[in-house]
Amino acid sequence: MASMREIKSRITATKKTAQITKAMHMVSASKLKKAEGIIKSYRPLIYKLREMIDNLLDSDDALSHPMLVEREKQVVCYVLVTSDKGLAGPYNSSVFKAFTAFVKENHQSNDEFLVATIGYKAYSFAKRMNYKTLNDDIINVRDDIQFIDFKTVIDKFTNDFLNGNIDSIVVFYNHFVNTITQIVEHQQILPITNGHIKVKENKEEEENDLKLIYNFEPSPQVIIDNLLPMYVENTLYGMILEAKASEHASRMTAMKSATDNAEDVIHTLQLHYNRARQAAITIELTDIIGGANAVN
Amino acid sequence: MKISVVTPRGELYNEEVDYVVVTSKMNGEFAIMKNHIPIISTIDTGYVKIVRGEKELYTVVLNGVVEFQSNICNVIAQEAHVGMNKVSAMEHLNTVREERIRENKRRNVDFALAEKELKKSVKDSKAGNL
Repeated sequence: MASMREIKSRITATKKTAQITKAMHMVSASKLKKAEGIIKSYRPLIYKLREMIDNLLDSDDALSHPMLVEREKQVVCYVLVTSDKGLAGPYNSSVFKAFTAFVKENHQSNDEFLVATIGYKAYSFAKRMNYKTLNDDIINVRDDIQFIDFKTVIDKFTNDFLNGNIDSIVVFYNHFVNTITQIVEHQQILPITNGHIKVKENKEEEENDLKLIYNFEPSPQVIIDNLLPMYVENTLYGMILEAKASEHASRMTAMKSATDNAEDVIHTLQLHYNRARQAAITIELTDIIGGANAVN
Repeated sequence: MKISVVTPRGELYNEEVDYVVVTSKMNGEFAIMKNHIPIISTIDTGYVKIVRGEKELYTVVLNGVVEFQSNICNVIAQEAHVGMNKVSAMEHLNTVREERIRENKRRNVDFALAEKELKKSVKDSKAGNL
């Protein structure tokens, strides 16, 4: 049995750990709330954009854009959205697991695809697995994430796609269902499949049959050229926001269970400590009694 | 007529105005007044001048769309900033962007250093080996 002092020091150490995890739990909870607010304020924008694109594509069938055309898939780029820091439970590893499973199913070798990483963890994962990466620098995902942070990557995506270096872009991210559930999902953001946009549109059509006729300045083609990249950028941004919310939620639950576990450990250690203390007292007592007996 | 400026970070501005002037590097300049026919236009880099009575406000926009219908003007922008005049608003937006990029770079370096240090101290303290 361990000595009393050893147990005591373990108890204090565990208590301190529990304190830290509890604090992290609370911090994540408040950050999650903030992230949810950001998602809420972002949503109207993407709906509005989608509506505009739908209107535009509906008005003229002759309109086309390379981003809408499905090409034969030769080079696929996968975007992994993860966090910068660990201690978030299964948050990062579940993305990696889903991704490796997906790769195993769809590809024979690592040369067939490219990986773009968002977040430090994904970057080191890609390096470790020897994937070909699209971006050389690490793209941070800060808690107060802003558009400018990954502007360069998105530009690179769209440029590479338009140049024909990449034929399709698929994003792996944690979809935020609720505080306890986050599901890894993969979604294609380029080329924009028609169904992707049109699903939403059908709903809207029922609501207002009367379509407005717009004037386009300077021309529909120029506008669609501008709108589509913006739409892609914002879709990815939305996914990153959602991943961010998932990260906080995941960290929150992980820290909560860590705190609970620490409390359990403290409880059992306390029992051990009490027993050790009792044993020490008993030994002392028998010593004293034995000594007294010897004197008598 | 109404104008609302929306960015990914939420609504920036929502007011009743007299008229707006949309300026973009690519398309030139045009004004939208009350009862204009529905119009959609894009802004690559430019600004939207908002006029109400004597007052003028400038919204600098990077990558945006202007939509006008039934006397509501929607400005959807990737990034936007509202200021008293266009030069200061543009400057503000640019400095904010540059600052951010610089900070991100610095963070990257700091992060890598911290990670290295952590690895070293974990190794030194032999944590995890009982």
